[in-house]
Parts: sequence; C-alpha cells; structure tokens
Amino acid sequence: MSGPNQVIRLMSSDTAEIPVERVVAERSILIKNMLEDIGDSALTDPIPIPNVNEAVLNKVLEWCTHHKGDPPASADDDSDSRKKTTDIDEWDQKFMQVDQEMLFEIILAANYLDIKALLDVGCKTVANMIKGKSPEEIRKTFNIQNDFTPEEEDQIRRENEWAEE
Amino acid sequence: MPTIMPPTPNREDVVATWKYLEAGISRIMLDLKAGVDMNTYMGVYTAVHNFCTSQKAVNSPGAMGSIGAAHRGAHLLGEDLYNNLITYLTGHLKQLDNAAKTHTDEALLTFYIREWNRYTTAAKYINHLFRYLNRHWVKREMDEGKKNIYDVYTLHLVRWKVDFFTNVERSVMASVLRLVEKQRNGETIETSQVKSIVDSFVSLGLDENDSTKSTLEVYRYYFEKPFLDATTAYYQTESKQFVAENSVVEYMKKAETRLAEEKDRVGLYLHPDIMQPLMKTCNTVLIAEHSALLRDEFQNLLDNDRQDDLARMYNLLSRIPDGLEPLRNKFEAHVRKAGLMAVEKVAAEAGENIEPKVYVDALLEVHTLYQNLVNNAFKAESEFVRSLDNACREFVNRNKVCKSGSTKSPELLAKYTDSLLKKSAKSAEESDLENMLTQIMTVFKYIEDKDVFQKFYSRMLARRLVHTNSASEDAETSMIGKLKEACGFEYTNKLQRMFQDMQISKDLNDSYKAWMVKVLDEDDMKKAVDFHIFVLGTSFWPLTPPNTKVIIPQVIIKTYERFQKFYFEKHSGRKLSWLWHLCKGELKAMYCRGVKTPYTFQVSTFQMAILLLFNDVDTMTYEELEKSTELSKEYLDPNLGIFLKAKVLTISPEDAKPGPGTKFFLNYDFKSKKIRVNLNIQVKMEQKQEIEDTHKTIEEDRKLLMQSAIVRIMKARKKMKHVLLVQETISQIQSRFTPKIPDIKKCIDILLEKEYLERLDGEELGYLA
Repeated sequence: MSGPNQVIRLMSSDTAEIPVERVVAERSILIKNMLEDIGDSALTDPIPIPNVNEAVLNKVLEWCTHHKGDPPASADDDSDSRKKTTDIDEWDQKFMQVDQEMLFEIILAANYLDIKALLDVGCKTVANMIKGKSPEEIRKTFNIQNDFTPEEEDQIRRENEWAEE
Repeated sequence: MPTIMPPTPNREDVVATWKYLEAGISRIMLDLKAGVDMNTYMGVYTAVHNFCTSQKAVNSPGAMGSIGAAHRGAHLLGEDLYNNLITYLTGHLKQLDNAAKTHTDEALLTFYIREWNRYTTAAKYINHLFRYLNRHWVKREMDEGKKNIYDVYTLHLVRWKVDFFTNVERSVMASVLRLVEKQRNGETIETSQVKSIVDSFVSLGLDENDSTKSTLEVYRYYFEKPFLDATTAYYQTESKQFVAENSVVEYMKKAETRLAEEKDRVGLYLHPDIMQPLMKTCNTVLIAEHSALLRDEFQNLLDNDRQDDLARMYNLLSRIPDGLEPLRNKFEAHVRKAGLMAVEKVAAEAGENIEPKVYVDALLEVHTLYQNLVNNAFKAESEFVRSLDNACREFVNRNKVCKSGSTKSPELLAKYTDSLLKKSAKSAEESDLENMLTQIMTVFKYIEDKDVFQKFYSRMLARRLVHTNSASEDAETSMIGKLKEACGFEYTNKLQRMFQDMQISKDLNDSYKAWMVKVLDEDDMKKAVDFHIFVLGTSFWPLTPPNTKVIIPQVIIKTYERFQKFYFEKHSGRKLSWLWHLCKGELKAMYCRGVKTPYTFQVSTFQMAILLLFNDVDTMTYEELEKSTELSKEYLDPNLGIFLKAKVLTISPEDAKPGPGTKFFLNYDFKSKKIRVNLNIQVKMEQKQEIEDTHKTIEEDRKLLMQSAIVRIMKARKKMKHVLLVQETISQIQSRFTPKIPDIKKCIDILLEKEYLERLDGEELGYLA
C-alpha cells in the first residue's frame, strides 16, 4: 500500500524494527527527502537510523504521531515571534516531562532527523529550565562544574552589567 | 533479514570521512542509474552529520579558556567538507571539459544536455545528503555575510558555470545558432535540444544577493545577445537578396511569413523573455531597413486599390516607430485628389447647373470608397480616420463646383435633402430614405458653412410644410434629430418651432370651424368657401410678405375679414400678415364648351385674382388687368404667361408677350386631358431670385452672429485683449462657418461705435453694460 497511511519500517541503532505510518515518519525531513530521492522500491528493507536508539526513536515517533496533521513548516518560518517566545503547548509540555538525559537525546535526535518543530520544543524546554535562575542554580541544575577563575567571572559580570536590571 | 547498519567512519577524522563521502558522491554523480541503496544514502548523511557535530570544536586549540571564542558560541564544523566538495566538483567538471572538446555541433549539444541533466540530478541528491551542512555551517557563514558561500545545490551550479560553462559556451552557442539557421533554411531540427540549452543557461543565472532567486543575466548575455545578432545577420542577408529579385508586394508577404515564424519560434523552444527583443530585432531588419522601399510602393497600391496589400503594408509599418506617418500624408493627399477629380468630372458633364444629387453622390462615392479602405486595410486607426476627414473636408468645401465660394456645397446638399424629403413620384422607401439621410449627414459633417445649409434647409422645409408636400413626417423628424445631434439645440430650434406652428394651426382651423357654426347664419354658411389657414410665427419662418400689392378678389374677401375677426377676438394685439404669394385655391371652370364635367383649376391667389376678373367680362386689356389686380409687373407677366401657355387665355396680337398694349380673351374652347389642371407652377425666375436672396441674407446673418458672439464673450469676461477676443470668437463660431479675421475686426468696430464696448489701455477692450 502506497500513500500517507502506508506502514514503513524504521530500524534503530540497536537494530529494533519499528513500524510506522509513512506520514508520521515524513515529519523527518531526512526520511522524507530520502524516500523522495530513492523511491518506494527501496522500501523492501527497513530504513536504518544509525544515530538513534529504540527508546529515543519511539519517543520521537510518539511526538510525530501526535503532530502528524500539523501543517508543514514553511521554508522561512524563522519569524521572530516563533523564536522569541518560550511558550510550549500543553501536550508538548507533558511530553517533555522526561529525565534530563532523555530530553537531550530527543534534542539530538530531532537535530539529526531534521524535525524542526520538535527541535524547537526541546530547546524551549531547556530555555525554560534556565530562565530566572542564577548562574549557581543553573550549574546545579545541569551539573556543570565552574571552570572560571574569580578574575574571569568578574570581567564577564562587568561586561554584562547592562543586562542586569 | 536483519539490516546491517551502514559503516560510518571516525567522526573526527577528516580524511577518513571525506574518503567515505567521496565514494558515495561519485556513485551518485556517475552511476545514479544503478540506483543508490538506503544504506549508502543514510551512511553519507550520517557521516556528514557526525563530522559536523564531532566534539573536536571544543578541543580545538585556542578555544579552551578563550573568552573571545566563548562569546562567538559553538564553532561550527564543515568548512573542510565544503572545500573538499569543491575540489571534487572541479575535478569532475575538468573531465567533462576535456570530453566536450571531442564533440561539435549537434553531438556537442547532446553531450552538454546529457551531462547537464546528470549533473543537476546528482546535485539535488547531494544537496539533500549535505543538508546538515546547509542547515548549520553554510547558514552560519551566509548569516555572517561571507561571500561566495552557497548552499550545496547552488554550489553545484556555480562550479558548473565557472569550471565548465565558461569554457564551452562559445562552441555550444555556435552549434545552437547553426541549428536555428538550418531551421530558418527550412530543414527540420530537434528543437528540444535548443530548449534544453535555454533552460540550462537560465538556471545558471544566480542572484548574487539572494541565491534562492535567479536572474536572466547569464541567459541574456550568453544566449539572447548572440541569438539576436545572428538573427539580424541572417535576415539582413536574406532580405537584401529577396528584395533585389522580387516585387515589393512579394517582399511584404515574405516579411509577414518570417515575422510569424519568429513569433512561433519563441513559443516552441525559446524563453518567453526574448519575445520583445526578438520582435524588435526582426522589425528593424525586416521592416525598418526597407521602409523607404515599402512607402514608395504605397501610391501604386492606392492607385490600383489593392486593399489586401495595403493592409499588409499597414500591418508591417505599424510595427516600427513612426512607420505610418508618411503613409497618412500620402493617403490624405490621394483622397483629396480623388475627391477633386470626381467633382471635376461631374462638373464637366453637367456644366453650370449641376444636379444636386449628382454632386452629392460624387462626394459620397469617394468618401465611401476610402472609408472602406480605412476600415478594412488600416483597421480604422484613428489617425487614418483623421487623414480621411481632413481630405474630405478639403474637397467638400473647396472644389471646382464651389469655385465661386464655399457656400455652394451646403446649398447643393440642402437641395438634395429637399428633393429626398419632398413628395414626388419617385419617393424612396422609408428605410432607403433613412439611409440616404444618414449619408447626407456624412457630407454635412464636412461642410464648413453649416449656417448656409441651415438657411437653405429652413427655406425648403418651410415650403414643404406650407405646400404640405413633405414625403414623410418620420423622415422630417429624423433629419432634424440628426442635425440637432450634430450641431446642437440652437441650430434646429427654429426648425422645430416650424413643426409646432403646423400643429397649432391644425387646432386653430378646428376651432375656427366651430366658431363659424356658432356665429354664422344659414345663408352665410352656404356662401362660405372652403378655407384652411396656417398661422406662422414671423421670427421662426424664413418667409416674407409679397413685394407687390394685390386686390383681394371679392369672393374671398368675406372669408378674409371673417377669419381676422375670429383671430383678433382670440388673440388681441397680434398682427397678421397675409402671405398671398404662398396661398392657393381651386376654381371651377363652368364655362367651357362641350365639356360634361367642369375642369378644376389649381391656382395661386394671384392667378385667382386675375382669372376671377373674367367672370364679368370675356376680354381685358393688359392695362385693365394691371389696374384691377394691382399686381406688379414681376408677378403679373409670368402668371399671364402660364395662362397663355395652358391656353386658358388667348392673347392679341397673337404670339405677343404679355405687356402694355396687349389684350386677353377667355378661351371657351379650353381642352385638357385631365379634369384637374394645375396652373400653380413656380416660376423659374422666382426660384433664382430666392437663391440669390438667401445668399444675400447669409452675409447679414453672419455679421449678427459674430456680433452676438462677441457681446456674449465680453459679457462673461468684462475685459479682454483684442487678439484673444478674435480667437475666442473664431472658436465659438467655427461650428457654423469659418469667420474671416477682418470681418470680426469690423464687427468689433461696429460694437465700439454702438458703445457696447470701450477701448482700454494696452490693446484691451472693456464691456459696457
């Protein structure tokens, strides 16, 4: 069966085969372009996704399934309003309530698979985690070691004084 | 079957990564037909992704601990891949360049097109595979304003242009042009090849500022320009040769065919953008460069009425700037000449007294002929219409027949109109009549002295109405409507009032009859003669009282007095002038010997006055007649002439002309084939007199018209320079006739004398209320 509801198979890096509707998989521009270029004849085999493991791929596909009806993002959707706002819709917020490691894995997978909207949601989630926190709190949240010398810290603070109102 | 994950090279090793990528790219570039499997596809994409996201950046020397580097954010990797791709493409294109050298003409085109298709298809693939590079490294470089960095697809086009196209475009274009020349020579060619080349050239036009947009610059420079140059050269040679061996008409046909072919060529395989410049080029080479030759043929075509060829010439010359102007001048002169010759011909045949119909027909024939030509051959183009109008105005107003003055044309036209509208044996059908009136208006449009036409027309209309011999009321109304449309309300105002008077008179006769029944006793009623009257407004009708006295015959004097009584009762303070010379009546001749039914004589009132005298006597001398009628010689003599000719009276001495010393006898032996004998024939002399009078009054009327125009203008402006006043007067009066400047000046002087105007300082005139 061809068409948007055709079921195709993806293979994760840990060789798990995941069946998925074509329209869902094509939220990934990588997969969409590939199917376009190579043609349906190649679909006898599952599509290898070398950089994403089964758990993450499932999670990503869950998001893609929910958003399969979204209008495709236009080529220059980099409008300022979309970039500036950190608002995330309710479903996506719940979706992103995962441990930090999974969150970063999702972001990396979205980047690799070229799913712009998911990448945005991931980055906004991280941005919200940073918002309103002091450097010390941020370091704690992300488990970052402070590798600045006191002199360097002083200099940065002076350079960024304008931003602290 | 378990899928084996594609092997991926060490993400931090440029050399290993590129080696892996190059293998994939080569496969796509050189052997795409064999297909690319998913593993290779995903492998190449992943290798690009992995290389660009390798942690090397963080560890790169200088980044660690450097505040400046931290500021810039993450360093993006990809430059190495980008440069390696360039090197690969350059190498590939170098090979193509070498291979191209072994081909020429159509083989070269085939090679170019095949390689172009292969290359651009591969470019689309590779662009997808390098999408990660496009999204991050390329985007960042471009955002930072770096020049000469393109997305991977565009990079392919840029390299094609730089490394291959610039080396081969000359030979490719030469092959294209040879191919097109073959087609122009009538051979069949593979047009899709040219189309593909055009498409390729167009694709190479990249906007330096925005790589997502394309421009036609490359195409225009490398394709359009040489194409147009070749077109010029080809047709210059061809047309020069063709003209030398063929007639101008044949050349026009050839040029038409060629222009159509070139237009089709654009649709078939050229870029639509070339339409305008190509047409311009063709117009220049095929038409403009031979325009003098074409124009020289124009007169010849006109003389022979070659409508198709004239249309051909019009179409060709209308394509070049200022191509038609010289034709219009020639056309105007030609039409004027044709008009003058037509008039001269009929004038020579008819002599002094030209028949109005013959004259008008001659004018119309020329107009119709050339109007058809303008409509058919010159597409009714407004400038040609104007030339036609100019020419017609010339020959209508200034020709052999109106040698003595431009008033002759309107006079003849008005007479012709009268002959159409007057009841006669050969009256035209209603629809034909309407057509003829429309044709009259065609000529009328060109008449300059419209006031003369008005004068004659109103006189003749008056006569038609008074003598009730108008052919059709509808036609009369239609004609006045046409005149009103052409010249405005004022022009036809009096004419319309004349119609109104006719209607009022009808009602008046009815109420007079009713009045008589009421007022008269039985005896009077018996004696009353049949009586019908028109009461006409003096100022609307171009009629004047008779310039002779007359003694009203006894029989009708009662009627005359009775009507005056009735009328003055109804309208006190009005004056009635009796136009006896226009009245007519019928007399019964009870005296003729040997006739069962008495003859009825249709006579004018003057004739009545003469004949009724013979009720009492059989013989009268000329002097007695003069005394008893008081008619002047100018009326008495011709009417007696009519009676003699009809043998109602006889004269002594025999064969004498009426005059002092002659004697007249009532002829009891009068015979006629008809019971009704019309003796009321208009005398020739009267007609001539009338025409002369009309012409005389025109000059007077014109003076009044000019004076009233001047007063109107001055009343509105109060003050005005002399020169401007003259101009304004001309423009106001032009629709009626063309005034002469000295005449206007004379009128101004008259008005100054009469103190309507005064002289002010500096050539100015003032209005005095």
